[in-house]
Amino acid sequence: MLKATLYTALLSLVFWSCNSSDDTYETINEPLEFSVPSNFPDAVYNLEANPPTTIGFELGKKLFYDGRLSSNGFISCGFCHEQRTAFTHHGHQFSHGIDDLEGVRNTPAIQNAAFMKEFAWDGATNHLDLFPIIPITNEVEMGETVSGVLAKIKSDEEYQNLFASAFEDGEVNNENFLKALAQFMVMMVSADSKYDKYVRQEEGGTFTDEEKEGFTVFTNKCASCHTSDLFSDDAFRNNGLAPNPSLNDIGREEVSGDATDRYKFKVPSLRNVELTAPYMHDGRFGTLEAVLDFYSNSVTDSPTLDPILNQDGELGIALTDNEKTTLLAFLGTLTDETYINDERFAEY
Amino acid sequence: MKNSLLALSAVFALFMTSCSNDDDATSEEALTGSGEISLTYDNGFNGNDLVLGTANAANANGETITINRFNYIISNIRLVNKDGEEFVYAKDDSYFIINQENEEDQVALADVPAGEYTTLKFGVGVDQEKYLQGAEGQGNFLTLAEENNMMWAWQAGYKFLNFEGTFTSATITEATEFKIHMGSHGSSLDNYKEVTLELPENVVVGDGIDSNIHLKIDASKILAGATTNIELTEKSVIMVDAEKSPQIAVNTSEMFVVDHVHNGNGH
Repeated sequence: MLKATLYTALLSLVFWSCNSSDDTYETINEPLEFSVPSNFPDAVYNLEANPPTTIGFELGKKLFYDGRLSSNGFISCGFCHEQRTAFTHHGHQFSHGIDDLEGVRNTPAIQNAAFMKEFAWDGATNHLDLFPIIPITNEVEMGETVSGVLAKIKSDEEYQNLFASAFEDGEVNNENFLKALAQFMVMMVSADSKYDKYVRQEEGGTFTDEEKEGFTVFTNKCASCHTSDLFSDDAFRNNGLAPNPSLNDIGREEVSGDATDRYKFKVPSLRNVELTAPYMHDGRFGTLEAVLDFYSNSVTDSPTLDPILNQDGELGIALTDNEKTTLLAFLGTLTDETYINDERFAEY
Repeated sequence: MKNSLLALSAVFALFMTSCSNDDDATSEEALTGSGEISLTYDNGFNGNDLVLGTANAANANGETITINRFNYIISNIRLVNKDGEEFVYAKDDSYFIINQENEEDQVALADVPAGEYTTLKFGVGVDQEKYLQGAEGQGNFLTLAEENNMMWAWQAGYKFLNFEGTFTSATITEATEFKIHMGSHGSSLDNYKEVTLELPENVVVGDGIDSNIHLKIDASKILAGATTNIELTEKSVIMVDAEKSPQIAVNTSEMFVVDHVHNGNGH
């Protein structure tokens, strides 16, 4: 009897000590469904090469909000890309990175990246996976190196576990690092605005007369560049902004080296535009009214001005006051409350 | 007499057979399995060894160049055998950086199928197909590129060539910096180039047979090329130049020759 008790006691001791402390948990990774809204074109991003998964997505989100991607441990992606303003930097014409250094371009929104062909105002990359390299290594943004970031990440046990669970080879290498961030960004789809409900004839999609009028004006006067339900054709165009001599930003020419690309910038999507002030690549306009006034009154000519904005010597887009009012009403329908409140993308 | 003639013939016959050329242990029937082929990228300048930090004799453009950095990306390696069949080295493993500063001049290709190959093909830089793969299949190539000064930051991508130093010329008498960083320009301009080199002798590989292809690179051809000359006096920092970058890409692709092949016993 004593022997049996002792034996049981010893056995349970063995079992207890063999119970590994949970610092190497193996969580099961599952596929995440990526659905294309019915009013959207096909995704451009190759989902087969990097299929979004539950853990890959969580890892990507953790990285997105991690200040260690910068040299001062403080500037994360989320620092400039704030969800409540469709992932732009609220109230900032230019964002300040490490050491309070400032760039020369306005932080663009992150939305529907899976459907985009070019990234950054000048198309510095045409693959979403490679985009993070740009802000990470930019001296006025995060001021780091990819190797430096990986070294910090590698030494973190929680990251080690996430990488191990999210990727087949479990490695904390640059491939998986970029793929995780891409999985997070790929899932960030904004397609539930009043406009979307209107075109898909869903509940909550009833346009006022003013909004309908504005939609007509938009279709006739804006949609040749801000095309499709993505509201951009991803092309590089010079829209007639007078260059700011103190910034001297040559835009697409920076990437192509081609003088015919000077002052051309990527057409941004207008989704959530009411939230993403200030406007243009250099954030020079504080309001949408100012933007519309610019298009009707202040488009300047130049060798690379987009031909669309120069019809028989008439520069810009003729807009009556009434058309502007209705346009503003229409642009308001592009705000997607679901997107900016979506907990999946939230920092906390 | 007959006997001795017979004996002599026998001995003669013996001689013939024993002296038969036996170093052809690499005869076709013997080649099985696979082996390793190493490529040596032996950097030079105008016929001489490339020595960093040392001035070279003036080039065809009348410019005296001292090189401080000479790195390039080699990729997409293929070998064509004597039957015209092409062996493609696994793409994801086929990106290498040759860096003169750390004297990395070898590319080791493991598990090359046994055979006799007549032609070596490779690319200089990173091809568009690879770019469009994004992070897929990269492993740590991006960080490798970053560590070897081959990563472009502000335009996410690679420098295919990083060629830096100082120069003087008839009109520029003070040593002036030159920096040539050549790569593709986003989706606008693909500067990836392919190189095809006929081997001076077939390279043989198989089980127990590792061989080496020794290339010689003439860095002077980057600036004094077969079709275009790049004068540093005119422009000494060339990074994203719509006109000159493609010219440099062509010149760079023409700086390679295969000098010799070592068959068996590796290098």
